[in-house]
Amino acid sequence: MKRRRSLFIHLSYIRILAKKFAIIILFLSAFVLMLLNKTENVLVEKTSSLATDMVSPIVDVLVVPARFVAGIYDYFGEIKEVYKDNQQLREENRRLLNMYDRMKVLEVENKLLANLLNYEIPPEAQYITSRIIAEEGDAFSHSVIAYIGESEDIKKGQVVLSDRGLVGRIDSVGHMYAKILLLTDINSRIPVMVEKTRVRGILAGDNTSSPKMIFIPLDAEIKVGDRIVTSGVAGVFPSGLPVGRVLSVDKKNVIIKPYADLDGLEYVRIVNYGLKGMIDDE
Amino acid sequence: MNRLQPLNDRSIMQEEVTENVKNSFQRLIPLCFSLLLLCLSCIPFKITFFDYARSAVGLVCVYYWLIHRPDIFNLFSVYLLGLVADILSAVPLGTNIFTYLILYILLLNLGRFFNGKPFVVTWYGFAILSLITLFCKWLMVSIYYSQFLPFAQILFGYLFVVAAYPILSLLNAFVQNYLIQDEV
Repeated sequence: MKRRRSLFIHLSYIRILAKKFAIIILFLSAFVLMLLNKTENVLVEKTSSLATDMVSPIVDVLVVPARFVAGIYDYFGEIKEVYKDNQQLREENRRLLNMYDRMKVLEVENKLLANLLNYEIPPEAQYITSRIIAEEGDAFSHSVIAYIGESEDIKKGQVVLSDRGLVGRIDSVGHMYAKILLLTDINSRIPVMVEKTRVRGILAGDNTSSPKMIFIPLDAEIKVGDRIVTSGVAGVFPSGLPVGRVLSVDKKNVIIKPYADLDGLEYVRIVNYGLKGMIDDE
Repeated sequence: MNRLQPLNDRSIMQEEVTENVKNSFQRLIPLCFSLLLLCLSCIPFKITFFDYARSAVGLVCVYYWLIHRPDIFNLFSVYLLGLVADILSAVPLGTNIFTYLILYILLLNLGRFFNGKPFVVTWYGFAILSLITLFCKWLMVSIYYSQFLPFAQILFGYLFVVAAYPILSLLNAFVQNYLIQDEV
Protein backbone atom coordinates (compact mmCIF):
# COMPACT_ATOMS: atom_id res chain seq x y z
CA MET A 1 0.00 0.00 0.00
CA LYS A 2 2.80 2.32 1.00
CA ARG A 3 4.72 1.37 -2.14
CA ARG A 4 1.72 2.11 -4.39
CA ARG A 5 1.24 5.48 -2.70
CA SER A 6 4.87 6.46 -3.22
CA LEU A 7 4.60 5.40 -6.88
CA PHE A 8 1.53 7.60 -7.26
CA ILE A 9 3.39 10.53 -5.69
CA HIS A 10 6.29 9.92 -8.08
CA LEU A 11 3.98 9.87 -11.10
CA SER A 12 2.18 13.06 -10.12
CA TYR A 13 5.54 14.73 -9.49
CA ILE A 14 6.73 13.71 -12.96
CA ARG A 15 3.50 15.01 -14.46
CA ILE A 16 3.89 18.40 -12.77
CA LEU A 17 7.51 18.57 -13.91
CA ALA A 18 6.53 17.64 -17.47
CA LYS A 19 3.90 20.38 -17.51
CA LYS A 20 6.40 22.86 -16.16
CA PHE A 21 9.01 21.98 -18.73
CA ALA A 22 6.65 21.25 -21.63
CA ILE A 23 7.55 24.52 -23.34
CA ILE A 24 11.26 23.81 -23.02
CA ILE A 25 10.78 20.24 -24.27
CA LEU A 26 8.74 21.41 -27.28
CA PHE A 27 11.28 24.13 -28.06
CA LEU A 28 14.05 21.56 -27.90
CA SER A 29 12.09 19.23 -30.17
CA ALA A 30 11.76 22.06 -32.72
CA PHE A 31 15.52 22.58 -32.60
CA VAL A 32 16.18 18.86 -32.92
CA LEU A 33 13.86 18.73 -35.95
CA MET A 34 15.78 21.60 -37.55
CA LEU A 35 19.12 19.96 -36.82
CA LEU A 36 17.98 16.62 -38.23
CA ASN A 37 16.67 18.46 -41.27
CA LYS A 38 20.06 20.12 -41.70
CA THR A 39 21.81 16.76 -41.73
CA GLU A 40 19.47 15.66 -44.57
CA ASN A 41 18.72 12.49 -42.70
CA VAL A 42 16.92 9.88 -44.85
CA LEU A 43 14.54 9.07 -42.00
CA VAL A 44 13.52 12.73 -41.65
CA GLU A 45 13.02 13.02 -45.40
CA LYS A 46 10.85 9.88 -45.47
CA THR A 47 8.82 11.10 -42.46
CA SER A 48 8.41 14.51 -44.07
CA SER A 49 7.18 12.91 -47.32
CA LEU A 50 4.76 10.74 -45.36
CA ALA A 51 3.46 13.78 -43.47
CA THR A 52 3.01 15.66 -46.75
CA ASP A 53 1.04 12.68 -48.05
CA MET A 54 -1.20 12.82 -44.99
CA VAL A 55 -1.89 16.58 -45.06
CA SER A 56 -2.08 17.16 -48.83
CA PRO A 57 -5.38 15.29 -49.45
CA ILE A 58 -7.15 17.82 -47.20
CA VAL A 59 -5.83 20.69 -49.31
CA ASP A 60 -6.67 18.70 -52.45
CA VAL A 61 -10.33 18.48 -51.39
CA LEU A 62 -10.46 22.21 -50.59
CA VAL A 63 -8.92 23.16 -53.94
CA VAL A 64 -11.98 22.08 -55.98
CA PRO A 65 -14.57 24.62 -54.69
CA ALA A 66 -11.91 27.35 -54.42
CA ARG A 67 -10.82 26.79 -58.03
CA PHE A 68 -14.47 26.88 -59.13
CA VAL A 69 -15.00 30.31 -57.57
CA ALA A 70 -11.69 31.59 -58.94
CA GLY A 71 -12.62 30.10 -62.34
CA ILE A 72 -15.83 32.15 -62.55
CA TYR A 73 -13.89 35.32 -61.81
CA ASP A 74 -11.25 34.43 -64.41
CA TYR A 75 -13.95 33.55 -66.99
CA PHE A 76 -15.46 37.03 -66.96
CA GLY A 77 -12.02 38.59 -66.93
CA GLU A 78 -10.89 36.58 -69.94
CA ILE A 79 -13.95 37.15 -72.13
CA LYS A 80 -12.68 40.65 -72.90
CA GLU A 81 -9.38 39.26 -74.14
CA VAL A 82 -10.77 36.56 -76.45
CA TYR A 83 -10.74 38.55 -79.70
CA LYS A 84 -7.19 39.82 -79.18
CA ASP A 85 -5.99 36.35 -78.19
CA ASN A 86 -7.60 34.84 -81.28
CA GLN A 87 -5.73 37.23 -83.58
CA GLN A 88 -2.46 36.51 -81.82
CA LEU A 89 -2.99 32.75 -81.96
CA ARG A 90 -3.70 32.86 -85.71
CA GLU A 91 -0.45 34.72 -86.25
CA GLU A 92 1.45 32.33 -83.98
CA ASN A 93 -0.08 29.31 -85.72
CA ARG A 94 1.09 30.58 -89.11
CA ARG A 95 4.59 31.09 -87.73
CA LEU A 96 4.66 27.66 -86.07
CA LEU A 97 3.54 25.93 -89.30
CA ASN A 98 6.52 27.51 -91.09
CA MET A 99 8.81 26.39 -88.30
CA TYR A 100 7.34 22.89 -88.39
CA ASP A 101 8.19 22.55 -92.07
CA ARG A 102 11.73 23.71 -91.41
CA MET A 103 12.01 21.37 -88.43
CA LYS A 104 10.96 18.37 -90.51
CA VAL A 105 13.70 19.08 -93.04
CA LEU A 106 16.28 19.52 -90.26
CA GLU A 107 15.14 16.32 -88.55
CA VAL A 108 15.78 14.26 -91.68
CA GLU A 109 19.11 16.00 -92.20
CA ASN A 110 20.05 15.41 -88.56
CA LYS A 111 19.20 11.72 -88.82
CA LEU A 112 21.32 11.31 -91.95
CA LEU A 113 24.29 13.08 -90.35
CA ALA A 114 23.94 11.09 -87.13
CA ASN A 115 24.01 7.87 -89.16
CA LEU A 116 27.14 9.07 -90.96
CA LEU A 117 28.91 9.79 -87.63
CA ASN A 118 27.65 6.63 -85.95
CA TYR A 119 26.15 8.87 -83.23
CA GLU A 120 24.24 7.17 -80.39
CA ILE A 121 20.93 9.05 -79.97
CA PRO A 122 20.06 9.49 -76.28
CA PRO A 123 16.72 8.09 -75.09
CA GLU A 124 13.77 10.47 -75.23
CA ALA A 125 12.66 12.15 -72.05
CA GLN A 126 9.64 10.76 -70.27
CA TYR A 127 7.26 13.06 -68.49
CA ILE A 128 4.05 13.14 -66.54
CA THR A 129 1.76 16.14 -66.23
CA SER A 130 0.85 16.97 -62.71
CA ARG A 131 -1.70 19.26 -61.06
CA ILE A 132 -0.59 21.79 -58.45
CA ILE A 133 -2.72 21.53 -55.33
CA ALA A 134 -0.90 23.78 -52.88
CA GLU A 135 1.57 26.58 -53.12
CA GLU A 136 3.67 28.37 -50.59
CA GLY A 137 5.75 31.39 -51.34
CA ASP A 138 6.77 34.07 -48.90
CA ALA A 139 10.01 35.55 -47.67
CA PHE A 140 11.02 32.25 -46.09
CA SER A 141 10.51 29.62 -48.80
CA HIS A 142 9.10 29.02 -52.27
CA SER A 143 7.57 25.64 -53.01
CA VAL A 144 4.48 23.94 -54.39
CA ILE A 145 2.86 20.54 -53.83
CA ALA A 146 1.78 18.53 -56.88
CA TYR A 147 -0.53 15.55 -57.16
CA ILE A 148 1.38 12.73 -58.84
CA GLY A 149 -1.04 9.84 -58.42
CA GLU A 150 0.56 6.47 -57.95
CA SER A 151 3.36 7.12 -60.39
CA GLU A 152 6.53 5.33 -59.33
CA ASP A 153 8.79 6.99 -61.89
CA ILE A 154 9.06 10.26 -59.99
CA LYS A 155 12.22 10.70 -57.98
CA LYS A 156 13.91 13.42 -55.98
CA GLY A 157 15.85 15.86 -58.15
CA GLN A 158 13.84 15.42 -61.35
CA VAL A 159 13.22 18.47 -63.52
CA VAL A 160 9.90 20.31 -63.35
CA LEU A 161 8.80 22.45 -66.31
CA SER A 162 5.82 24.64 -67.10
CA ASP A 163 4.59 25.52 -70.58
CA ARG A 164 7.01 28.46 -70.63
CA GLY A 165 10.16 27.20 -68.98
CA LEU A 166 11.92 25.72 -65.98
CA VAL A 167 9.99 25.73 -62.71
CA GLY A 168 12.34 23.89 -60.32
CA ARG A 169 13.07 20.38 -59.15
CA ILE A 170 11.43 17.66 -57.09
CA ASP A 171 12.34 18.11 -53.44
CA SER A 172 10.56 15.15 -51.84
CA VAL A 173 8.28 12.42 -53.11
CA GLY A 174 5.43 10.87 -51.18
CA HIS A 175 3.00 8.14 -52.16
CA MET A 176 0.58 10.44 -54.00
CA TYR A 177 2.09 13.90 -53.70
CA ALA A 178 5.44 15.50 -54.42
CA LYS A 179 6.93 18.70 -53.08
CA ILE A 180 8.55 20.88 -55.75
CA LEU A 181 11.27 23.36 -54.85
CA LEU A 182 10.88 26.42 -57.08
CA LEU A 183 13.92 27.98 -58.73
CA THR A 184 13.31 31.13 -56.66
CA ASP A 185 13.73 29.29 -53.34
CA ILE A 186 16.83 30.05 -51.30
CA ASN A 187 17.88 26.37 -51.53
CA SER A 188 17.77 26.31 -55.31
CA ARG A 189 21.05 26.29 -57.24
CA ILE A 190 20.85 25.60 -60.97
CA PRO A 191 23.81 25.57 -63.41
CA VAL A 192 22.86 27.94 -66.22
CA MET A 193 24.46 29.78 -69.13
CA VAL A 194 23.76 32.71 -71.41
CA GLU A 195 22.41 31.11 -74.57
CA LYS A 196 24.16 33.43 -77.03
CA THR A 197 27.60 33.82 -75.43
CA ARG A 198 27.69 30.46 -73.55
CA VAL A 199 28.87 32.25 -70.39
CA ARG A 200 28.27 29.89 -67.50
CA GLY A 201 27.10 30.59 -63.99
CA ILE A 202 24.79 29.41 -61.22
CA LEU A 203 21.22 30.59 -60.82
CA ALA A 204 20.74 31.12 -57.09
CA GLY A 205 17.31 31.66 -55.60
CA ASP A 206 16.98 34.14 -52.76
CA ASN A 207 13.26 33.88 -51.94
CA THR A 208 12.45 36.88 -54.14
CA SER A 209 10.64 36.57 -57.47
CA SER A 210 13.84 37.31 -59.43
CA PRO A 211 16.81 35.01 -58.68
CA LYS A 212 20.44 36.00 -59.23
CA MET A 213 23.08 34.57 -61.53
CA ILE A 214 26.30 34.09 -59.55
CA PHE A 215 29.82 32.73 -60.16
CA ILE A 216 30.10 34.50 -63.50
CA PRO A 217 33.55 35.22 -64.99
CA LEU A 218 34.60 38.85 -64.40
CA ASP A 219 35.05 39.57 -68.10
CA ALA A 220 31.72 38.03 -69.10
CA GLU A 221 29.52 40.03 -71.44
CA ILE A 222 25.93 39.89 -70.30
CA LYS A 223 23.24 42.23 -71.55
CA VAL A 224 19.72 42.96 -70.39
CA GLY A 225 17.30 40.73 -72.29
CA ASP A 226 19.78 37.87 -72.87
CA ARG A 227 18.20 34.44 -72.81
CA ILE A 228 19.30 32.16 -69.95
CA VAL A 229 19.18 28.37 -70.37
CA THR A 230 20.39 25.43 -68.28
CA SER A 231 24.03 24.52 -68.90
CA GLY A 232 23.77 20.83 -68.07
CA VAL A 233 26.76 20.97 -65.70
CA ALA A 234 26.50 18.56 -62.70
CA GLY A 235 24.13 16.30 -64.57
CA VAL A 236 20.87 17.12 -62.81
CA PHE A 237 19.36 19.38 -65.48
CA PRO A 238 19.94 18.71 -69.18
CA SER A 239 21.38 21.60 -71.14
CA GLY A 240 19.23 24.01 -73.14
CA LEU A 241 16.10 24.22 -70.98
CA PRO A 242 14.72 27.77 -71.05
CA VAL A 243 15.06 29.42 -67.64
CA GLY A 244 14.50 33.15 -68.08
CA ARG A 245 15.94 36.38 -69.38
CA VAL A 246 18.32 38.93 -67.89
CA LEU A 247 16.33 41.62 -66.13
CA SER A 248 19.17 43.85 -64.95
CA VAL A 249 22.95 43.87 -64.80
CA ASP A 250 25.09 45.86 -62.40
CA LYS A 251 28.53 45.49 -60.82
CA LYS A 252 27.31 43.15 -58.10
CA ASN A 253 24.31 41.30 -59.48
CA VAL A 254 22.82 39.81 -62.59
CA ILE A 255 19.09 39.49 -61.96
CA ILE A 256 17.07 36.98 -63.93
CA LYS A 257 13.34 37.04 -64.61
CA PRO A 258 12.07 33.44 -64.93
CA TYR A 259 10.00 32.59 -68.00
CA ALA A 260 7.63 30.42 -65.99
CA ASP A 261 4.80 32.18 -64.21
CA LEU A 262 5.61 30.85 -60.76
CA ASP A 263 2.71 32.68 -59.08
CA GLY A 264 0.05 31.11 -61.26
CA LEU A 265 1.14 27.50 -61.72
CA GLU A 266 -1.75 25.14 -62.33
CA TYR A 267 -0.18 22.22 -64.16
CA VAL A 268 3.47 21.26 -64.48
CA ARG A 269 5.45 18.62 -66.33
CA ILE A 270 7.75 16.42 -64.27
CA VAL A 271 10.39 15.23 -66.68
CA ASN A 272 12.68 12.25 -66.39
CA TYR A 273 15.65 12.81 -68.68
CA GLY A 274 17.31 9.64 -67.44
CA LEU A 275 20.14 11.71 -65.98
CA LYS A 276 21.91 10.71 -62.83
CA GLY A 277 23.45 13.37 -60.54
CA MET A 278 21.53 13.93 -57.33
CA ILE A 279 18.78 11.52 -58.33
CA ASP A 280 21.05 8.62 -57.44
CA ASP A 281 22.00 10.11 -54.07
CA GLU A 282 18.92 8.53 -52.53
CA MET B 1 -41.08 2.81 -9.06
CA ASN B 2 -37.90 1.11 -7.95
CA ARG B 3 -37.77 -0.88 -11.16
CA LEU B 4 -37.48 2.29 -13.20
CA GLN B 5 -34.51 3.55 -11.21
CA PRO B 6 -31.71 1.63 -13.05
CA LEU B 7 -33.12 2.73 -16.41
CA ASN B 8 -33.02 6.37 -15.34
CA ASP B 9 -29.48 5.97 -14.12
CA ARG B 10 -28.47 4.50 -17.45
CA SER B 11 -30.07 7.29 -19.43
CA ILE B 12 -28.41 9.89 -17.19
CA MET B 13 -25.08 8.16 -17.71
CA GLN B 14 -25.65 8.10 -21.47
CA GLU B 15 -26.45 11.79 -21.44
CA GLU B 16 -23.30 12.47 -19.46
CA VAL B 17 -21.19 10.50 -21.91
CA THR B 18 -22.78 12.31 -24.88
CA GLU B 19 -22.19 15.63 -23.16
CA ASN B 20 -18.56 14.74 -22.46
CA VAL B 21 -17.95 13.67 -26.06
CA LYS B 22 -19.63 16.85 -27.31
CA ASN B 23 -17.49 18.96 -24.99
CA SER B 24 -14.31 17.23 -26.11
CA PHE B 25 -15.18 17.89 -29.76
CA GLN B 26 -16.00 21.50 -28.99
CA ARG B 27 -12.61 21.93 -27.37
CA LEU B 28 -11.04 20.84 -30.63
CA ILE B 29 -12.98 23.33 -32.77
CA PRO B 30 -10.43 26.21 -32.54
CA LEU B 31 -7.57 23.90 -33.51
CA CYS B 32 -9.54 22.26 -36.34
CA PHE B 33 -10.66 25.65 -37.66
CA SER B 34 -7.09 26.98 -37.52
CA LEU B 35 -5.86 23.91 -39.41
CA LEU B 36 -8.62 24.41 -41.99
CA LEU B 37 -7.60 28.04 -42.49
CA LEU B 38 -3.97 26.98 -42.80
CA CYS B 39 -4.85 24.44 -45.50
CA LEU B 40 -7.05 27.00 -47.28
CA SER B 41 -4.18 29.48 -47.31
CA CYS B 42 -2.11 27.02 -49.37
CA ILE B 43 -4.62 26.87 -52.21
CA PRO B 44 -3.03 28.39 -55.30
CA PHE B 45 -4.64 31.67 -56.35
CA LYS B 46 -3.25 33.82 -59.12
CA ILE B 47 -2.85 36.76 -56.77
CA THR B 48 0.75 37.82 -56.16
CA PHE B 49 0.07 39.69 -52.92
CA PHE B 50 -1.81 36.71 -51.50
CA ASP B 51 1.59 35.01 -51.04
CA TYR B 52 2.62 37.59 -48.49
CA ALA B 53 -0.53 37.22 -46.42
CA ARG B 54 -0.08 33.44 -46.22
CA SER B 55 2.21 33.44 -43.24
CA ALA B 56 -0.36 35.58 -41.40
CA VAL B 57 -2.86 32.74 -41.11
CA GLY B 58 -1.00 30.66 -38.52
CA LEU B 59 0.16 33.68 -36.55
CA VAL B 60 -3.31 35.25 -36.38
CA CYS B 61 -4.92 31.96 -35.32
CA VAL B 62 -2.37 31.38 -32.55
CA TYR B 63 -2.66 34.99 -31.37
CA TYR B 64 -6.44 35.12 -31.51
CA TRP B 65 -7.16 31.88 -29.70
CA LEU B 66 -4.45 32.31 -27.09
CA ILE B 67 -5.93 35.69 -26.16
CA HIS B 68 -9.59 34.76 -26.24
CA ARG B 69 -9.66 31.06 -25.34
CA PRO B 70 -6.36 29.93 -23.82
CA ASP B 71 -8.32 27.24 -21.95
CA ILE B 72 -9.09 25.29 -25.14
CA PHE B 73 -6.19 26.36 -27.38
CA ASN B 74 -3.18 25.15 -25.47
CA LEU B 75 0.52 24.58 -26.01
CA PHE B 76 0.02 21.35 -27.92
CA SER B 77 -2.45 23.01 -30.31
CA VAL B 78 0.24 25.60 -31.01
CA TYR B 79 2.80 22.85 -31.62
CA LEU B 80 0.50 20.87 -33.92
CA LEU B 81 -0.40 23.97 -35.93
CA GLY B 82 3.31 24.75 -36.34
CA LEU B 83 4.04 21.20 -37.41
CA VAL B 84 1.34 21.24 -40.11
CA ALA B 85 2.57 24.65 -41.32
CA ASP B 86 6.08 23.17 -41.59
CA ILE B 87 4.83 20.15 -43.52
CA LEU B 88 2.96 22.29 -46.02
CA SER B 89 5.89 24.59 -46.68
CA ALA B 90 9.50 24.19 -47.71
CA VAL B 91 11.00 25.88 -44.67
CA PRO B 92 13.22 23.67 -42.51
CA LEU B 93 11.11 21.37 -40.36
CA GLY B 94 10.64 22.97 -36.94
CA THR B 95 10.78 26.61 -38.09
CA ASN B 96 7.08 27.36 -37.77
CA ILE B 97 6.87 25.37 -34.52
CA PHE B 98 9.65 27.57 -33.17
CA THR B 99 7.87 30.73 -34.40
CA TYR B 100 4.50 29.86 -32.92
CA LEU B 101 6.10 28.82 -29.62
CA ILE B 102 7.77 32.23 -29.38
CA LEU B 103 4.38 33.86 -29.88
CA TYR B 104 3.00 31.51 -27.21
CA ILE B 105 5.66 32.57 -24.70
CA LEU B 106 5.11 36.25 -25.49
CA LEU B 107 1.37 35.86 -24.98
CA LEU B 108 1.87 33.85 -21.81
CA ASN B 109 3.38 36.98 -20.28
CA LEU B 110 1.57 39.74 -22.17
CA GLY B 111 -1.75 38.13 -23.11
CA ARG B 112 -3.59 39.58 -20.11
CA PHE B 113 -2.96 43.11 -21.41
CA PHE B 114 -4.89 42.39 -24.60
CA ASN B 115 -7.71 40.22 -23.31
CA GLY B 116 -11.07 42.00 -23.19
CA LYS B 117 -9.64 45.15 -24.73
CA PRO B 118 -11.09 46.98 -27.79
CA PHE B 119 -10.28 45.51 -31.18
CA VAL B 120 -7.79 48.26 -32.05
CA VAL B 121 -5.72 47.46 -28.96
CA THR B 122 -5.54 43.76 -29.85
CA TRP B 123 -4.61 44.74 -33.40
CA TYR B 124 -1.76 46.93 -32.16
CA GLY B 125 -0.74 44.09 -29.88
CA PHE B 126 -0.65 41.72 -32.81
CA ALA B 127 1.37 44.22 -34.86
CA ILE B 128 4.04 44.39 -32.13
CA LEU B 129 4.16 40.71 -31.23
CA SER B 130 4.11 39.48 -34.84
CA LEU B 131 7.03 41.82 -35.62
CA ILE B 132 9.07 40.26 -32.81
CA THR B 133 8.01 36.77 -33.88
CA LEU B 134 8.81 37.31 -37.56
CA PHE B 135 12.17 38.83 -36.65
CA CYS B 136 13.00 35.72 -34.58
CA LYS B 137 11.93 33.52 -37.50
CA TRP B 138 14.05 35.54 -39.90
CA LEU B 139 17.05 35.23 -37.58
CA MET B 140 16.51 31.51 -37.09
CA VAL B 141 16.17 30.72 -40.81
CA SER B 142 19.13 32.99 -41.64
CA ILE B 143 21.29 31.09 -39.13
CA TYR B 144 20.05 27.81 -40.58
CA TYR B 145 21.04 28.77 -44.13
CA SER B 146 24.14 30.70 -42.96
CA GLN B 147 23.01 33.69 -45.00
CA PHE B 148 20.68 36.58 -44.31
CA LEU B 149 17.29 36.37 -45.99
CA PRO B 150 16.17 39.58 -47.76
CA PHE B 151 14.96 41.73 -44.88
CA ALA B 152 12.98 44.14 -47.05
CA GLN B 153 10.90 41.20 -48.23
CA ILE B 154 10.20 40.21 -44.62
CA LEU B 155 9.09 43.75 -43.75
CA PHE B 156 6.88 43.90 -46.83
CA GLY B 157 5.36 40.56 -45.82
CA TYR B 158 4.92 41.83 -42.27
CA LEU B 159 2.72 44.69 -43.50
CA PHE B 160 0.46 42.18 -45.21
CA VAL B 161 0.40 40.03 -42.09
CA VAL B 162 -0.78 42.99 -40.02
CA ALA B 163 -3.26 44.07 -42.69
CA ALA B 164 -4.74 40.56 -42.83
CA TYR B 165 -5.45 40.51 -39.09
CA PRO B 166 -8.96 42.07 -39.13
CA ILE B 167 -10.28 39.64 -41.78
CA LEU B 168 -8.76 36.55 -40.20
CA SER B 169 -9.75 37.52 -36.68
CA LEU B 170 -13.30 38.13 -37.91
CA LEU B 171 -13.43 34.56 -39.24
CA ASN B 172 -12.14 33.26 -35.91
CA ALA B 173 -14.65 35.47 -34.06
CA PHE B 174 -17.53 33.70 -35.85
CA VAL B 175 -16.27 30.38 -34.52
CA GLN B 176 -15.80 31.83 -31.06
CA ASN B 177 -19.37 33.19 -31.04
CA TYR B 178 -20.64 29.77 -32.03
CA LEU B 179 -18.69 28.23 -29.14
CA ILE B 180 -20.06 30.77 -26.64
CA GLN B 181 -23.65 30.24 -27.82
CA ASP B 182 -23.26 26.51 -27.45
CA GLU B 183 -21.71 26.77 -24.02
CA VAL B 184 -24.50 29.08 -22.78
